[in-house]
Amino acid sequence: VSKVTPIEVAMAEMALRSGEVLVSASTSERGLVELCQRGDAQAFARLVALHEGMVLNLAARLLGDLEEARDLSQDVFLQVYRTLGGFEGRSSLKTWIYRIVVNQCRNRRRFFRRRRKDRSLTLDELKPKDAAKLATEEAHEGSPFEQVSRIERAERVQKALLQLSFEHRAILLLREVEALSCEQISAALAIPGGTVKSRLARARESLRRILVSGLEGGRA
Amino acid sequence: VSCRATRARLSAYLDRDLPPLEAQRVAAHLAGCAGCVGRFRSLQRAVELLGELPLVENSESIASRVLDRLELESRGPGLALLFRPIGSARPLILPSLIPAALVLVTILVGALALDHKGTSAWERGWGTEADPVFPSGGVSAPRIRERGPADDVLAGMGEGTLFLETVVARDGSVSNVTLLAGDSRTALPLLEALRKDRFEPGRFAGRPVAVSVYRLISRMDVWARIT
Repeated sequence: VSKVTPIEVAMAEMALRSGEVLVSASTSERGLVELCQRGDAQAFARLVALHEGMVLNLAARLLGDLEEARDLSQDVFLQVYRTLGGFEGRSSLKTWIYRIVVNQCRNRRRFFRRRRKDRSLTLDELKPKDAAKLATEEAHEGSPFEQVSRIERAERVQKALLQLSFEHRAILLLREVEALSCEQISAALAIPGGTVKSRLARARESLRRILVSGLEGGRA
Repeated sequence: VSCRATRARLSAYLDRDLPPLEAQRVAAHLAGCAGCVGRFRSLQRAVELLGELPLVENSESIASRVLDRLELESRGPGLALLFRPIGSARPLILPSLIPAALVLVTILVGALALDHKGTSAWERGWGTEADPVFPSGGVSAPRIRERGPADDVLAGMGEGTLFLETVVARDGSVSNVTLLAGDSRTALPLLEALRKDRFEPGRFAGRPVAVSVYRLISRMDVWARIT
């Protein structure tokens, strides 16, 4: 079993984020899955390291709470470990993991909603270097969206997301943030392709309306 | 194409997912409708803003946490049993515990009641001079330590039989002598003499207790026949 250096992991994460297929002898998905299915702990550690960023990101955006998302991410990978034996490779591993994330978030939300104290992702939960970088990139031109800093914009978008229904939030994040195709979303959410398109259109319109009304309300 | 029909297709138009003819119609409508253009631009911007969301900070390795938890589980059933929800693993365990609990409670209550009775009997004065006990398996009999003048008194007495109860107190003295049968007038000096005897007191479970002793004293003068 070859070791994976942090750089390789970072590269793999970037590749996964941009939706590219990762082909490499040491990290090919099928080989990794087979090693994990044979109980190779190192291979599983690699699998988790490759996907934990995207799992945490999706869970945090879906739940609107970073701590809860960290906790849930562990449960997601425990479920991956326990059910990997039944993974047949009909969808990609990534799509399969997305499906587990969305299902766990949907289940957890029911308990979570009762004890939640209006917490949402805040400034300090962004990477410090990102916050600094984002602050310098403030743009003061164009539509009202551009008149606030990127950090504020990200906060507004996250708040708007949390006002949407769970299903709308999930489909928007999978499509616009995780850059999944309609076919992949169809597999991840277990809904027909036609439903993906109609739900996506409604979700986009709901988000648009919330963002526009938020800006008008903010200016008034 | 109406505004309504155009707006219904904006999402697909944004994804370039419309058939060429429909896409042309939407484009043509947008070219001449400021309202729909505004709607399209805000939709496009909303989608872009989602794409601009920064990655959430991943400050701690989830992989190491997950591996820790898996290792904990793989240590065998010892620990896993602790974390397993009892109700789901053994659905009958709670109903089956009820009779067991009832039996346990009954035994405990009985034991407590018996214990309480024993203690209170002791505290009430069991084994004291007012309520002496009899020598038995658990209660040792008092032993004579120092004889009073009873033998001398007996020697001076006439023939007869006396039945006496002597209570040996916890300090070894004689607290009471009662004549149960016999001539009380002749017995009186003897009763006084017996009160002066000193004993090693009887004991129960190591504690000295007052013990009641019955004594039958018979005196008979025997005369040898003269031949």
